[in-house]
Amino acid sequence: MKKLMHLLFLSCLKATELIEKKFHIPLSIKENLQLKIHKLMCDACSAYEKQSTILEKGIELHHKKQFDNQDIEQVKKQIISKLKQTGNY
Amino acid sequence: MKKSKISHLNEWVQLYTDDLYSWAKYKLSDVELAKDLVQDTFVTAVEKYEGFKAESSPKTWLFSILNHKIIDYYRKKVKQPISKDIESFSGFFEKNGDWLENRKPKNWQLDEREKHLLDDINFQKVLKKCLDSLPEKWGTCVKLKYLAAKNGEQICQELDISPSNFWQIVYRAKLQLRDCVEKNWFNS
Repeated sequence: MKKLMHLLFLSCLKATELIEKKFHIPLSIKENLQLKIHKLMCDACSAYEKQSTILEKGIELHHKKQFDNQDIEQVKKQIISKLKQTGNY
Repeated sequence: MKKSKISHLNEWVQLYTDDLYSWAKYKLSDVELAKDLVQDTFVTAVEKYEGFKAESSPKTWLFSILNHKIIDYYRKKVKQPISKDIESFSGFFEKNGDWLENRKPKNWQLDEREKHLLDDINFQKVLKKCLDSLPEKWGTCVKLKYLAAKNGEQICQELDISPSNFWQIVYRAKLQLRDCVEKNWFNS
């Protein structure tokens, strides 16, 4: 019985994989439907989707935050002094 | 009189460091690494200065050197074998594909807090800690997704890995990340 359910409406392993895939590529109609029904029956995977969406935003935010304003003059000085260390300069 | 190599290079450092550095930061999402690669770019420029054709723009030339370095960096990162990774992946599910009981996502009971969760400094700290604790290659792939104007397929081409391999890595990284955040934030 369980095997049949997994076959029709995905295992949690497959469902979470589709949840991740969905962030980047549109799912097929069949995949979408299977995932929807799976989530109706599975609280854990529903929770997973919600949480993964939050994390996705969190990673993006974290990524953007790294654009701090470092002193570019300092970077230039470091480069020049590094170039002076190389023999060809 | 022709300008010397040194005065050329000094001029380029003054003119283009800003743009090169912003670009590198954006592509690498790592400030220190960006600094290193921009520095290396100028070192290479000194070495290859004689090969530079004066009719092309120095900015384009420097950018092409930098881009090579960035791609090289990612290539080396991703080329490491992943056999170990697969073990930790199977650690989330039973053989039949059901969640393992202790790995099952719990209800985070967020409700109203959900909107503000990402503004929470402590949550950001936990997320950063969990991102840093991912195997290096996974972290690289997760970051790579946020490169400007790149879709998955282009990234795979640049890194010379298959798309399915790439998504599997991202998927595993997310499983691990979620688990780590739950254990460190919601259970604390």
